[in-house]
Amino acid sequence: MFDLEKAIKDWRKDLNKNEALEDGYKEELECHLRDKIDYLKGLGSSEEKAFKEAVKKIGKADSLGAEYFKTDTRNASGLPPWKKSRWLFPLFSNYFKIGLRKIKRQKLYSLINIAGLALGLACCAVIILYVTNELSYDSFHKNADRIYRVATHRISQIGEYKFVASPAPLGPELIRNYPQVEQAVRVVPPYENASHVLVVRGEKRYFEDRIWFADEDIFELFHMPFVQGNPQTALTHPNTVVITEGMAKKYFDEEIPLGQTLQIEIDYDTGFVELQGYEVTGVIKNAPANTHLKYDMFLSMETMRSNLSSFEEDWFNPKAKYTYVKLAPGTDAVDFEEKLKPISNFLIQRYSEKYNRKMDLYELFLQPVTKIHMYSHHMREIEPSGNWYYITIYSIIAFLILIIGCMNFINLSAALSTTRTKEVGLRKVVGAQRRQLVRQFLGESFLITILAFIIALGLTSLLLIPFNQMAGTELTLAGLAQPVVLLSLLVLLLFVSVGSGIYPALILTAFSPVSVLHGKLAPASRGALTQKILVIGQFAISIFLVICALTVFKQLQFMKGRALGFDLEQKLVLRVKSNMEHLRRDYEAIKNDFLQNPSITGATVSSSVPGDRTNSGYYMTPRMEDFKGAPFIKVITMDYDFIPEYGIKIVAGRPFQRGTGNDEREGYLINLAGVKELGFLSPEEALGKRFMAHYHRLDKRIIGITDDFHYRGMQEVVEPLVMDIENSLFEAITLSIRVENMNDLMRFIRSTWEEHFPGVPFEYSFLDENFDREYRYEDRMGKLLGIITTLGFFIACLGLFGLASFVARSRTKEIGIRKVLGASTANIVAILSKRFVLLILISVIIASPIAWYSMVKWLQDFAYRINMNLFVFFVAAAGALVIALATVCIQGIRAAVVNPANSLRNE
Amino acid sequence: MVSKNLMAASTKPMILAILAKGEIYGYQIIQRVIEISGGTLEWSEGMLYPVLHRLEKENFIQSQWKISENGRRRKYYRLNESGKKELENERKQWLKVHKVLSRVWDPLHAFD
Repeated sequence: MFDLEKAIKDWRKDLNKNEALEDGYKEELECHLRDKIDYLKGLGSSEEKAFKEAVKKIGKADSLGAEYFKTDTRNASGLPPWKKSRWLFPLFSNYFKIGLRKIKRQKLYSLINIAGLALGLACCAVIILYVTNELSYDSFHKNADRIYRVATHRISQIGEYKFVASPAPLGPELIRNYPQVEQAVRVVPPYENASHVLVVRGEKRYFEDRIWFADEDIFELFHMPFVQGNPQTALTHPNTVVITEGMAKKYFDEEIPLGQTLQIEIDYDTGFVELQGYEVTGVIKNAPANTHLKYDMFLSMETMRSNLSSFEEDWFNPKAKYTYVKLAPGTDAVDFEEKLKPISNFLIQRYSEKYNRKMDLYELFLQPVTKIHMYSHHMREIEPSGNWYYITIYSIIAFLILIIGCMNFINLSAALSTTRTKEVGLRKVVGAQRRQLVRQFLGESFLITILAFIIALGLTSLLLIPFNQMAGTELTLAGLAQPVVLLSLLVLLLFVSVGSGIYPALILTAFSPVSVLHGKLAPASRGALTQKILVIGQFAISIFLVICALTVFKQLQFMKGRALGFDLEQKLVLRVKSNMEHLRRDYEAIKNDFLQNPSITGATVSSSVPGDRTNSGYYMTPRMEDFKGAPFIKVITMDYDFIPEYGIKIVAGRPFQRGTGNDEREGYLINLAGVKELGFLSPEEALGKRFMAHYHRLDKRIIGITDDFHYRGMQEVVEPLVMDIENSLFEAITLSIRVENMNDLMRFIRSTWEEHFPGVPFEYSFLDENFDREYRYEDRMGKLLGIITTLGFFIACLGLFGLASFVARSRTKEIGIRKVLGASTANIVAILSKRFVLLILISVIIASPIAWYSMVKWLQDFAYRINMNLFVFFVAAAGALVIALATVCIQGIRAAVVNPANSLRNE
Repeated sequence: MVSKNLMAASTKPMILAILAKGEIYGYQIIQRVIEISGGTLEWSEGMLYPVLHRLEKENFIQSQWKISENGRRRKYYRLNESGKKELENERKQWLKVHKVLSRVWDPLHAFD
């Protein structure tokens, strides 16, 4: 049965919801409704029908309220209060104030939050800098998209090669006959002493290794801004040099370098080396970090031409010459490569005429200059190319740290939410809507993220120092100013603040104001599952990192500890970078002079020492002058003393011996790997066999077989090696020393050096340090992982600390009752800690297989490697448990020692 | 139908004019408008009452709760002195607009 009075009452209730309708208004509307119903009933409607129609006529509370509000309001925004969806400015300042107060009041938690986020953000900033730097190589040149390097693809009887050099006469040929080529510039390293050119000015004598001969147009092709001098004419004359600002400072201090002279020693391969004067005709800006062609000085190509007349005709000299071209606008690189075919054909023909041998393929191809760093991995690269593998690893690590930081933030904010229930309740009671509150808390997380970000900037500049050392980069904080970097950081910032703020915001705003203001705490179970998952995630990441770090560390220990097969200790290496003729001719006399000092127990000279990464080798053939298909074997040339001084084991035959005849002209030693490479089944079988090397075309016998000593790092299998006495390749002196007084000894070595190599800078290194460089990547990776792991663990523990305090607080009453009933502090700590043990165990279970898989993959790259064993996992798990328990116990004890009278009183 | 804008603009003078005839309550106003317009204009409650309240706030009209013979409470509205002035004012304005419109629409004056 329809009850009109009740229907009207309900209708009034509905109107009550609207804030714009004041009591008097509602009263009036009700009267109106009743009149209307009476009228409709008079027309013959039933009571119910009349009511429904009248209500429909008057309209819904919301639209009614809107009409009242519209007519009534003087508010600029014009929106009724129940429809408010924008930030209210006065509230915004209140949010800001409350946010800052929260940060200030809960100093410890805020610190944890901000520190965790800052670390993550800093790691990410470094990686963003690194990646953008890697990808920005050489893109700063004007018209970089039209600049290419000409590289060579060659197949002949020796093998198939792709190398990034091209013949010297190619550049001028391209300019002469190819209208598509706007510019062509050659860049050529000094021949023999490519990695160390002696530069002298007065008292200043240094080796420089970034010196190039360059065509005069280089400053038009590449972006190399001049500080002094005229780029058009700087390199047009012989014996002129353009130097960078850094070099100008180094050699000229405050003087004006223009017009001054530098003495530079270049080996032109003419058998005649001396210092020549070069006039400084220009000073350019220092080379940027993101170019594959790093430079300090450019010498004019005219110098090369006037010293080496054959240079411009030499189509086949294999030494490195780099040709860069700028193609005319609209030229298609692939089409252009096709047009280079005639040059290839001409070269194949010339080759067969000259050497009477067939070249199967000769092809010139173009490499876009901006792609060289990341994509070109051929022979004779100017510097090691970029590596996607490192980019991936670094990015993953940075991202993991950020994730840990974010999880921390989420966890702590959720845990702290109980302390803000009153605020939320009050805000809700005075009219805040959930959406508004969510915005408020998101705003707070943004505020914290911003603070973290400011700190992260500082941390970034600190992190960049070890990172630059590790990755061999020159990143600076200034790089952050690039638009791409700024944009990615901004995205990251938004991602982090929303990603870590949304969950706490939803938790916080879900409280019902009634129960909160009644004094009831939100149930502890709310969000606890999510928090557990977060803690598991944090610890899984941390444990993963620990396992990785331990594995890397163990592998490193293993490689360093493994017997190398030669003596590494107490050896001093002197590198002869100038006046090499003296070393190669008079090495016995030089050695003798060093041996005068009783602290020097031995001396030997060689082409390289273990740990050097040279690629010199011989093609070895058993047939006369026929190197077709001959294997290429790495070579160390040495004197008679090398094998005994280095303690290298001979497994068959004999070492080089003075007096047994003519080992210089007659004998090779090879290692066991070499035996296999040359096709012998046993060392004995190889003994006495004759081979000719392409380098000196001498027919020598194999007189001895050495053990496979690790002349390179332990990452690779020992490669085949041949040793012979070939003094024209000598470059290093090794002194075995017995150190009593290092200063005296070094003074003696130095003065002996100066006697023999006057004017040559004295540079030395210890063999073991030298050899350790082989492991520098693994070393640094281990260190990086160590730091990251510590940080990760630290942040994760902070998160756990927060969670433990949350749990302890929500169980205050329970703890109180337990204590009243006689539980001891230890009991209570145990109860509180129990659940965390489970969490850590779950993390271990999650992290272990992932870590196991990644590390097995990583170890695959090593020829000699450790086996993954359970010990590492055990250590990681135990470590995580101990640290986590320690963290939890602090909270547990704090909760357990509270006087139960206090915790039970307030109810 | 009359457009919403025109309706809104015309409520004020109409209410003032109706009130000029004597005390009246909201329901009656709506009925009166239907009557006068011959059913072509029908005001909604949501429109009428806010305007009444605003006019009261602007001190053109006064209101008073009274109890009717059947015991029902009703709020009566009445014009005061400044309301009368305002009505005159409104009337002048409307006539001005009306005059212009009728001249524009009158074919004799179409090309003035």
